[in-house]
Amino acid sequence: MDTSQILLEIDHLTKKFGDQTILQDVSFQVRKGEVIVIIGPSGCGKSTMLRCINALEEIQGGEIRVDGETVNAAGGNVRSADLARLRQKIGMVFQSYDLFPHLTVLDNITIAPLKVQKRNKAEIEQEAMQWLERVGLADKAKSFPRELSGGQKQRVAIVRALCMHPEVLLFDEVTAALDPEMVREVLDVMLDLAKQERTMLIVTHEMAFARAVADRVLFIDSGNIVEEGKPADFFTHPATERAQKFLHTFEFEAVK
Amino acid sequence: MPDLGLEVLFKGKNAVRLLGGLWIALRISLISVLISIPLGILLGALMTWKNPVMRAILRVYLEFIRIMPQLVLLFLVYFGTTRAFGWDLSGEVASVIVFSLWGTAEMSDLVRGALQSIPVHQYESAAALGMNRVQTYLYIIIPQTIRRLIPLSINLITRMIKTTSLILMIGVVEVLKVAQQIIEANRMASPNAAFGIYLTVFILYFLACWPISLLAKYLEKRWK
Ligand SMILES: Nc1ncnc2c1ncn2[C@@H]1O[C@H](COP(=O)(O)OP(=O)(O)O)[C@@H](O)[C@H]1O
Ligand SMILES: [Mg+2]
Repeated sequence: MDTSQILLEIDHLTKKFGDQTILQDVSFQVRKGEVIVIIGPSGCGKSTMLRCINALEEIQGGEIRVDGETVNAAGGNVRSADLARLRQKIGMVFQSYDLFPHLTVLDNITIAPLKVQKRNKAEIEQEAMQWLERVGLADKAKSFPRELSGGQKQRVAIVRALCMHPEVLLFDEVTAALDPEMVREVLDVMLDLAKQERTMLIVTHEMAFARAVADRVLFIDSGNIVEEGKPADFFTHPATERAQKFLHTFEFEAVK
Repeated sequence: MPDLGLEVLFKGKNAVRLLGGLWIALRISLISVLISIPLGILLGALMTWKNPVMRAILRVYLEFIRIMPQLVLLFLVYFGTTRAFGWDLSGEVASVIVFSLWGTAEMSDLVRGALQSIPVHQYESAAALGMNRVQTYLYIIIPQTIRRLIPLSINLITRMIKTTSLILMIGVVEVLKVAQQIIEANRMASPNAAFGIYLTVFILYFLACWPISLLAKYLEKRWK
């Protein structure tokens, strides 16, 4: 493997809450332009893993590097100035709608590029508007988050992350809290990003979407990567029994 | 039309005296508010700290002030401390002390509530966008806290203004005391003056507090 292509390294990550071990010695690497989908049963630590990657959680073992620089390490000795800088390389969209309620859609998107990256206001607003146009929300630029539907909020959250020009995007079940008819509009935006060769780490329960978007699937259970593979292989003939069982929970037998 | 005794209002300097009384009440409230807001913000922020000793002390202070009727506090400070410590407090200064103690306690609780009502994911979203601590507070947390706080603290101000009617009990000649004096002085000539004068006092309080309440409602609606 060409190591110069590696963007994100999860290196022997161990995460505990108290004496409960959530992730046990997890390692994997994300190459530039790769889309990785992480699946696994509820409570297996998928959200926790993404939160460890951009250092929203302290870790108890191992190290996480982005572009070769340590963003989170056991012992937590990353300088806060470095952390703020490295987090800009990692965009994150959460499951809960996490827009800033006191700012308009446009201000939600531009505040960090303006204040953190000190970029030019006209330039960043133009970029924000182009993105909003692209995700079908240009007419909502002056609206407040409370005036948007869940699907619209998540599209804004994605645009907000994109306008920081991150090198890798983390998505944590961004459609899990949405009404079914809004799921599609958000997944379409993510598919669009995948086509542009963006590097993404996606946690999702949408199996059809996972299969369509992923270059690689990681199946996590009991704090570890149990199986990993290409989506075509993984979804048609999973190698491990646990993955088979998990995938089976998404199928229904006819009862009539 | 019944005799409301309103003519007393226009006798001599009575109207001006009432307004003067109102001004004293408003001035005491205003000074107390100006003292309470910064102290309340400070104590409120301290209340969200993890330190259990600090939290217990502030909690006791808040509960003590809340349980005590304001009149008892006024008596305690005006009569109690002047005897006990032998110092000389004017009624107005004693009032400002009591209202500041009260306002600070109430304000700190409002600030604590507003700060704690900001969900954790607001801090996390800001962090995920690369904001440092200062930026997070400056652009995300404080603006949201202030929006929640302003309508509440305006209501506190009107409560303070209304409660100043108690300070006549420690000899401060505020609007209600002036009203009593006017009524007393005209007892023979206009026995019905009580109605007209108290009605005027009612209207004065209303005029002082109503615009403030309106402002609170307006801000609440705008920032919802
Ligand atoms: N802040 C926390 N404190 C204690 N336990 C937590 C915390 N956050 C998550 N957990 C626990 O960690 C485990 C993994 O949670 P999570 O990463 O949210 O799972 P997933 O996203 O895969 O559903 C769960 O058992 C959960 O209860
Ligand atoms: Mg989760």
